[in-house]
Amino acid sequence: MIKYIIPALVLGAAAGYLNNNFWNAIPNTLVSDQLFTITLIVMLFVFGFSFGLDKNAIEKMRKTGARIVAFPILVALGSLAGGLVAGLILRINVTGSMAVSSGIGWYTLSGPLIGQILGPEWGTLGFTANFLRELLTIITIPLMVKLDKYAPIASGGGTTMDTTLPLIVRYCGKDMLITAFSNGLVLSLMAPFIIISIASI
Amino acid sequence: MIPLIVGIVSGYLLRNKKQVKLEKASLAIIVVLIFALGFGIGSNNELLAAMPQVGLQAFVIAGLAILFSILFIMAGKRLVNM
Repeated sequence: MIKYIIPALVLGAAAGYLNNNFWNAIPNTLVSDQLFTITLIVMLFVFGFSFGLDKNAIEKMRKTGARIVAFPILVALGSLAGGLVAGLILRINVTGSMAVSSGIGWYTLSGPLIGQILGPEWGTLGFTANFLRELLTIITIPLMVKLDKYAPIASGGGTTMDTTLPLIVRYCGKDMLITAFSNGLVLSLMAPFIIISIASI
Repeated sequence: MIPLIVGIVSGYLLRNKKQVKLEKASLAIIVVLIFALGFGIGSNNELLAAMPQVGLQAFVIAGLAILFSILFIMAGKRLVNM
């Protein structure tokens, strides 16, 4: 699986770079927005379909109950703790590093939002750190799943409802569909509030 | 969220029909999705320019946020049965 993911990512980045800086063959948003969104919609339908095919689907959804509530809270707290420790290690403003880590992987939100409150330098850091969180998750999912079957969901944070969802379903199993999707959804709803509260301290 | 729900419902309604092979479809979806993600990164000059400057700090924050999220989930799993 990973042998398809890395080339797809590298080829995509190369194509995007060349298109943006040399060719200008197609509008950038055609691939990074439209194609991306359409693929997401198809993916959610296909995964939903295969989940519904399972004869024990309803029973499985009932079992995910506790995880739906607990996961986002634990991941949000873990991200804040990680930001705190990172701030102390790097000797930078702890409020800033915690605001950055509370983006929980949602870089298109955390970059501009943190930038608005704490200034452009923190915005850039917020964007890059959360982008790296997504990238690290994608690359290390095959390793993380050996450590703990829930580790990829924890690592993906807010991205487990879209970009990292297909990989999580692939590596952690179809049963994780609802858990991963709801984890990403709740964290994405929480992220703006956590970022604003931390950054405003 | 709507496509997910529509998918679950239609899959559930058709559950007694012949099982469909979804492995290949999901692989194609993952490849296209990751390609589009890479494209967005490659065409984002601001991100590429910022990488060398804040890369190390960003990497430490991202890595520790991931690590602690995993540790918290593993600890939570021991406390609550999930």
